[in-house]
Amino acid sequence: MKTFIYNQGYFMREVFKTIRLAPLSNLFSFIGTSLILLLFGLILGSWKIGDNLISSLQDEAQISAYFEDGMSQEQMLALADEISKMDGVTAARFIDTETAYEENKKLLGEEADILELFEENPFESYIDIRISLDDMDTVIDKVSNLKGIEYVRDNRDVLAQLKGIVGALKLLGSVVALAVGVTTIIIISHMIRQGIYNNREQINTLRLLGAPSWFIGLPFVIAGVLLTLLGGIAAAGLIILMLDGGYRQLREYIIFLPLPAAGELKELISYVIIALSAGLGLFGSLFGLSSIRKE
Amino acid sequence: MGNGIIKANNVSLIYRDGTKALNNVNLEINPGDLVFITVSSGSGKTSFLKLLMGMESPTSGSLTVMGVDMKKGRHGKIQKLRRKIGPIFQEFKLIEGRTALENVCMGMRFFGIRPKKIKAQAIETLTRVGLESKIHSKVENLSWGQAQRVAIARAVVRKPRLLLADEPTGNLDHDNAVSMLELLASFCDSNTAVIITTHATHLIDNWNNAIYVNVDKGEFSIRKGCNVPGSAGLSKIG
Repeated sequence: MKTFIYNQGYFMREVFKTIRLAPLSNLFSFIGTSLILLLFGLILGSWKIGDNLISSLQDEAQISAYFEDGMSQEQMLALADEISKMDGVTAARFIDTETAYEENKKLLGEEADILELFEENPFESYIDIRISLDDMDTVIDKVSNLKGIEYVRDNRDVLAQLKGIVGALKLLGSVVALAVGVTTIIIISHMIRQGIYNNREQINTLRLLGAPSWFIGLPFVIAGVLLTLLGGIAAAGLIILMLDGGYRQLREYIIFLPLPAAGELKELISYVIIALSAGLGLFGSLFGLSSIRKE
Repeated sequence: MGNGIIKANNVSLIYRDGTKALNNVNLEINPGDLVFITVSSGSGKTSFLKLLMGMESPTSGSLTVMGVDMKKGRHGKIQKLRRKIGPIFQEFKLIEGRTALENVCMGMRFFGIRPKKIKAQAIETLTRVGLESKIHSKVENLSWGQAQRVAIARAVVRKPRLLLADEPTGNLDHDNAVSMLELLASFCDSNTAVIITTHATHLIDNWNNAIYVNVDKGEFSIRKGCNVPGSAGLSKIG
């Protein structure tokens, strides 16, 4: 411990000397690490946005159950009550013809004049059912089979597609995370080996003088962690800039898109990338360093 | 048998390619010994130094250096042992791009000593070997003799129990070679043994109390130097 404390200045000088010995190679390592971490950050961001979108849609997932002819309002209300008690149903509300007319009028907005062309109210009574997306298929089957329900209208295709996209993003994210990890470790361990090769005579002399392995290796580990960490910080900075721009564009053109809070997303991605870069830098350096343990 | 720094019993070394480097070497070196190893043929002396540094392991026999069994010694033990040895390599192995002072300090950085103290000791040692004016010179800008003195300073600043000098007189003229040997011998004391390998047999005759080891085809023959009555310590006679 004393040796470490007394030699902090020496270690830092050695780190910068190691980096300066192969500036171009280390610059490429830095750029490569930044780019792959940027890619990882983008995938993480897309996954987070997609997940947020699905969560919002999941909360909003809705089906409409329409009645057979000749049912009384009491029977309809009883059915709505029965449905509201089903597993996977978060709420069930009976909508009579008048309410259906008013809601559709609101939805049509400026086009609502078209409804005046009808002599009678064209809308039927129905039950507005809010469901959990995970139980969508079961709930639709159960409701469809209820006596008094003629048919169920759902947006299952759209929801299923969205679920598929998020699933694919998650899978892609995992693959990219793995690729980022492996690539960073390869880049950093190669950089460390290069540093060891460039300093081989000094290392050999230090060994013959009895320097402990940790003393010889520590500057290389610090150099590896420092370069990867800088790559992570650069990637996080770029992602923050990209998110700012992206959010501005999305809010301008797709107003209703439920995006996660920009500040939280930026914070999450920055922390993950910087922590990941430090961890990968350390692992890559130690992996590269294993070669100098051999006598 | 005393408290030998080096104890070799029937040590043989055969390299992987079948080259026989050392054959049944028996030797004991104690603190205060000045040992000259001379070579008739072959490369036995370099092999012996490699064994002492733990760079090679004996093929047979037993060799202990400061209590460490060099046949079974683990990496960590060998590294610790090397900290008690002051090696002066034939090609010096100085670190280029660094000053004489930095090179000397380098040998002590992992001893857990405050940097200020290391620097003071290094300056003192460089002064002792006559390099006070070259302390801040880069080693690649020094002459052969000056670089060799930096290597000596790096070895002795650690106050080693065993000082190993491999061919320190090569490339030096007669006067400088003698002065180099005298400088190395001056580090020999009750705690430290000095081993010097050399081809220059004419320079090492008549050293009071020295031990002469001749290596011929891997075999060691040992003779004690003359002991002049009334002469104290190690010195060149005449």
